[in-house]
Amino acid sequence: MNKLKLLLIFSIFSLGNSVAQQFIARQGQVTFFSYASVENIEAKNNQVLSILDFDKKEIAASMLMRAFVFKKDLMHEHFNDSYIESDLYPKATFEGFLLEGLENAGPQTQLIKGKVTIHGITKDVDIKTTIQKTPESYNLTGEFNLTVNDFNIKIPPILSKNIAKIVLVKFNFQYLPHENN
Amino acid sequence: MKIINQKYIALYILFTSTICSAQNLLKELDKEYPDTPTYEIATFKTTRIGLSHSIETRKKGALEISMFNRFWNRPQGGKQGFLADEVNIRLGLDYAFTDNFTAGIGYGTYDKITDGFIKYKFVRQRKDSKKSPFSIAFYQEASFRNIYSETGMNPFYGTVTKDNSKLYGFTSQFIIARKFNTKFSAQISPTFITRNKSFAQDDIKSQFALGMGARYKVGHHVSIVSEYYANFNPVKSVTTYNPFMIGVNWELSHLLLQFQMTNARNFAKDAFIGQTTNNFNFHDGNFHFGFNATFVLHTSKNKL
Repeated sequence: MNKLKLLLIFSIFSLGNSVAQQFIARQGQVTFFSYASVENIEAKNNQVLSILDFDKKEIAASMLMRAFVFKKDLMHEHFNDSYIESDLYPKATFEGFLLEGLENAGPQTQLIKGKVTIHGITKDVDIKTTIQKTPESYNLTGEFNLTVNDFNIKIPPILSKNIAKIVLVKFNFQYLPHENN
Repeated sequence: MKIINQKYIALYILFTSTICSAQNLLKELDKEYPDTPTYEIATFKTTRIGLSHSIETRKKGALEISMFNRFWNRPQGGKQGFLADEVNIRLGLDYAFTDNFTAGIGYGTYDKITDGFIKYKFVRQRKDSKKSPFSIAFYQEASFRNIYSETGMNPFYGTVTKDNSKLYGFTSQFIIARKFNTKFSAQISPTFITRNKSFAQDDIKSQFALGMGARYKVGHHVSIVSEYYANFNPVKSVTTYNPFMIGVNWELSHLLLQFQMTNARNFAKDAFIGQTTNNFNFHDGNFHFGFNATFVLHTSKNKL
């Protein structure tokens, strides 16, 4: 019984410790670009949530598809209603692992392995990121490519020249200590 | 006792291990979403269902350039027309002053009716709560035409002289719409029409009607649409029919195309709701093929 108590106390302590290692970004930016022969499409989401856990080297991000802003408003409607179907799949998420720990040096390049879920479909991705520690916060930036076809997003043949087959995704997160726990 | 202890430990390990997965980080993020209302978008894809306006208004700065066509054959034939004997083309411009307020003008080439409208959407359907189950818009249209003809007679308005041949029509509507699910949306529009002239023999200026419209999405870019107006006090001296339309709406990026079968020949509401003199069937003179093309131009672009 004593052993159990000891274990409980120890684990609660360690759990508390790990929580202190969490960092959160509430206004992360995700931008995507589609370069096609008829038109270029660019959209930006300024309300992306992300959490970074240095103890477990884990990272997760979540965003509402509705929150993407397009240069042209009609694109926003078509993106949500005809392509990404945000009524059915309101969010896009990412969960992954940092392959290395973070040293306190300046900007460093890290590979994040994880799974991205868009339009209800999950795919493995490897993302090259740059992590920089600033006083009180961490800054994470990077980019990767997504193939539209992988996510069962259908583009009618007549509009195939309006939308790129491969979309470039860029992100920028500013993490602050997660004080909610 | 020992067994119980082991059970507890096993349970505990299980508990902590689930807490630690990245899945849990996502759950934690779900709690972080701000509690802002989400409104339904794209109840209809176009600002017209087919005959008349849908609940939709374009976002601020959008300019819609539209060409609506109705083709039909004369019952007695006798005219060498390409594809069809007659065509009525309405050329129109709509501008969205705000996200919820749109105004537009148009002119029909066959019936020579000039019309203008304002549309204001003042209630938006909420997606995430049952508090606001409908979107509601107010629509006001005014139309003008000259009904003078060589004979000096008009079937609806009787004797028309050159001096009193100006006909103004005013149509007021509330459009009440609901998106039931991602595919099906419907709307009803209580309608009041009044004119500056009375129907000659009926001595009525005003008419009441109820519009009904619906769409069903059959693909990501294609939907089947239908519309019907029930006229509550139709003119008695002339046989009129309620306008009906069934068609297909197809969106191609900035270009929205509508193909329809209808018995309505006019585009101004006071004209086609109250004064459609042909029934919906496939006889020449009754069957109208409609083709609407709308191009959306963004005069202001969002900064990213």
